[in-house]
Amino acid sequence: MTTVFHPLVKRFLDGELNLADLPPELHAEARAAERLLGVVDRAPVTLPAALDARVMSEVRRRASAPARRWWQRLAEPWEIRVRLRPWILGPALAAAAVLVLILARSQPPVPAVAVAAAPESVYVRFVLYAPGAHRVSVAGTFNQWDATTAPLAPAGAAGVWATTVALPVGQHQYAFLVDGRRWVNDPAAPMVDDGFGRRNSVVAVTAGAAGARAL
Amino acid sequence: MLAGDIEQYAELVHRYRDRYARFAARMLGSVDEAEDAVQDAFIRAFEQLRQCRDPDNFAGWFFLILRNRCLAERRRVARAGPGPEAVVVPAAEQADGPLVQEERRRALQQALLELTPEQREVFVLKHVEDLSYEEIAGRLGASIPSLKMRMHRAYDRLRERLKDVL
Amino acid sequence: MRLLAALGVTVLGVTAVAAQQPLAARLAGRVPAGVVVAVTALADSAAARGLPVDPLVEKAIEGGAKGASPERIVVAVQTVLTRLGRAQVALQAATPGVPPADAVEAGAFALSAGLQDANVQEVARACGPQCSAAEALRVAGTLTALGVPPAEAVELVRQTLRSGGKERDVLALPGRVEAEVAGGATPAQAAAGLARAAAARAAAPGQSGAPPHGRPPPRHP
Repeated sequence: MTTVFHPLVKRFLDGELNLADLPPELHAEARAAERLLGVVDRAPVTLPAALDARVMSEVRRRASAPARRWWQRLAEPWEIRVRLRPWILGPALAAAAVLVLILARSQPPVPAVAVAAAPESVYVRFVLYAPGAHRVSVAGTFNQWDATTAPLAPAGAAGVWATTVALPVGQHQYAFLVDGRRWVNDPAAPMVDDGFGRRNSVVAVTAGAAGARAL
Repeated sequence: MLAGDIEQYAELVHRYRDRYARFAARMLGSVDEAEDAVQDAFIRAFEQLRQCRDPDNFAGWFFLILRNRCLAERRRVARAGPGPEAVVVPAAEQADGPLVQEERRRALQQALLELTPEQREVFVLKHVEDLSYEEIAGRLGASIPSLKMRMHRAYDRLRERLKDVL
Repeated sequence: MRLLAALGVTVLGVTAVAAQQPLAARLAGRVPAGVVVAVTALADSAAARGLPVDPLVEKAIEGGAKGASPERIVVAVQTVLTRLGRAQVALQAATPGVPPADAVEAGAFALSAGLQDANVQEVARACGPQCSAAEALRVAGTLTALGVPPAEAVELVRQTLRSGGKERDVLALPGRVEAEVAGGATPAQAAAGLARAAAARAAAPGQSGAPPHGRPPPRHP
């Protein structure tokens, strides 16, 4: 299904409505719209001064050319110039640039210290209110983001999905996958940017706790 | 100043060189292409100076020439198919926030290029050049309802295209 | 994909064959082949610098699971590598010696939550040898993820440790902040109030051990 903005959010994008004018259920969509407008590149563009000389050189050449009928000039195709810029890198140069970036950061080798494997696991209950969902699962660092290993089941109250998962002691990031296509955060947990334009929920499991302690 | 005075045309070029450079850059996707488009538009404008009916509005008249140049270029690119992709070299040293924002900015610029030229034009004029619908209508000679329809289709296509990054 | 192809052509000579196999096996089928090559190169760079490799692999797998583009996955993994490097430098500045891998990972998490390098250094320095820098950094990062400004988050952790708080007291901080927030305080107010209470305990003569549990300190509107 194609994702489209609600008509009111489009008017919000147009500047006709403020966020306060929108019903609360549209606020998340409006914030996504704000993020879109927030990355519009409005930086001024300054063209090289050499452009003036090139234009005038061509203008003078045409001005001194034999007179042509005006409809012949209008019929001339647009001149599409391909101008090689010295700073456009070909694939090999780009790769070399990346390689330089990687190698330039190398420091004297430092022996890596092994991390002891966490010997304990703690059962953690994940709950999500998702009315209308047909299937919900939880995926995260504890199951290699494999959404098939931890499906949630309807849990009594309408729209509530839940499951209990044994998590190793430590900190984990996770998200719910609804109907196999929509990633949803846990509204009750702290969140951090996931690097893919979304956020991950965070849970920390401590040894000896009766249940999960979401830090 | 109208046709015939070449040296005074140089003054016009200097004065208006950058005024619509940003518009051309956002329409075409790169400053290099914008430079080519602005250069060509100045040369075409000189050729057609006799047809400039309002000498005091050289800027508006020049904009239309540049606009047509940009639209023609995007249609040519659309027919020819996508050209070589710009090589993006991630800068390993960038801070986190700006890196994500820069990624979103690049994604939006790419998505803009995938709109129809007419949809991209109204989006750029409103959200890059900060013109009102009334000003855009006056500049393009289009009706406000038609402009809004183009814009709202652009919003939908951008949202669909960018749903993974917003 | 030209970027990934270019990386593939260039980095084959850099990749250590012995280290490549297990990592490639973890990524196989989870991310495109070009991403496997790119992440392998980044992992080699991490290993050479004594940085943990697992976070890079996990981020790549996450990107594949979320359907991110190959370029985006590589950028995200590179971001993780950058943060690990920054965390390592900050930890080394705070405490001489090689920082443990879990502390480096926790520092990278704290950076991802919004702390700065100086904050990571400050938390590690406040921790000292008797405290787990990894836990303290996770808590500081979680406090920031809850909305506490980084400076206040660091101050709360620092004051809690300074007042003699044990690891369990540090681990309890996010929950206590959330309780205050549920009572109407902003995250910044909640953290500042708890930090002031901890500082008062540290300053009071004869006071030691964990802060009292039960009634939270008064809120300051």
